[in-house]
Amino acid sequence: MTPTETAARGRAQQTADRPPLPVKLVIAGGFGVGKTTTVGSISEIAPLTTEAAITEVAAGVDDLSHTPRKTTTTVAMDFGCITIDPTLKLYLFGTPGQERFGFMWDDLVEGALGGLVIVDTRRLDDCYAAVDYFEHKQIPFVVAVNAFDGKVEHDLDQVRWALDVADQVPLVTFDARRRGSVRDALLAVLELALERAEG
Amino acid sequence: MTAGDTQADGDAVSGLAADPVGRAPAVRPFLVTAGRVASTRAGTPMPLETQVVSTAAGIVGMERLAFERRDIVALCRQPQSLAEVAARLRLHLNVVRVLAEDLESTGDLSVYVPRSEAANDLSILRRVIDGLRTIPDFRETTP
Ligand SMILES: Nc1nc2c(ncn2[C@@H]2O[C@H](COP(=O)(O)OP(=O)(O)OP(=O)(O)O)[C@@H](O)[C@H]2O)c(=O)[nH]1
Ligand SMILES: [Mg+2]
Repeated sequence: MTPTETAARGRAQQTADRPPLPVKLVIAGGFGVGKTTTVGSISEIAPLTTEAAITEVAAGVDDLSHTPRKTTTTVAMDFGCITIDPTLKLYLFGTPGQERFGFMWDDLVEGALGGLVIVDTRRLDDCYAAVDYFEHKQIPFVVAVNAFDGKVEHDLDQVRWALDVADQVPLVTFDARRRGSVRDALLAVLELALERAEG
Repeated sequence: MTAGDTQADGDAVSGLAADPVGRAPAVRPFLVTAGRVASTRAGTPMPLETQVVSTAAGIVGMERLAFERRDIVALCRQPQSLAEVAARLRLHLNVVRVLAEDLESTGDLSVYVPRSEAANDLSILRRVIDGLRTIPDFRETTP
């Protein structure tokens, strides 16, 4: 098997329709920050919702086994897609808003090109979990302040200070309802990913 | 590697996974999959964007399949992701993972697991960037 070969595994036969290579970005953020709106503004399909399992590592340990307590929660996840060309398709997965720490989104995030962490300046702390997660996983991410009604409550320096994100993390404002604005926010993520990959 | 690559991984993967981490709390998924949970490949479940497409044999032999399996083969005449299959058939993602592997082992479905190295592939990143840049500010079709 050469690396340039696309092949189905096992005994399954290929049909004429060879699927595109799928790549993905993760759209994260707290409750109601505009994740679904963002996906819907640019996706070529109306956002779909599926149930995904996320594992939460609870603080503290199980009294009896002294192992970290893990619980699995099923969450609704929105997603959409953009066909880049017949051989390449970009998926956008909106991860559920969770303020709590410790969620393992690995199942959703594995292999992602990058992340967009959406922030509502009225509730800044809602995005800490996502920021921490991407930092920890070393996934390139951009913090995008959703300008509800065209205005941002704080300037970007204040937001950066409040979030305590590293200087190299790009911070942008955008409007989740505007397609061109969402496109530019996603481009910021991909350009960062490219910069990182170029080393 | 060139664009359009998907990973081919030859070994048959058992649907019987020991690791219950991906397990969802709902009861119904376990009835559909006879109690099995999504199997893992090198410890990670198949990504959500994994592409699945029905084989010619699967489409011809669809009538012998029952319920969800038949629905999946019918839907996947058009290649799509596991996430889309789950959403459109209102099945739990982990159920779709298990059933997709079953259908693959019976030759009814082709499963294309993407390489995770795509995230570091410069040519892929550049193509996504170039493609996104062509998206206009507003949708061309006005409602
Ligand atoms: N005015 C204004 N409203 C917005 C904007 N973005 C989102 N909204 C509205 O805010 C609400 C929440 O947006 P969603 O896109 O559903 O947010 P979400 O992050 O998907 O929410 P959850 O999935 O519930 O966490 C909706 O009523 C949107 O119409 C914006 O930029 N401006
Ligand atoms: Mg939402």
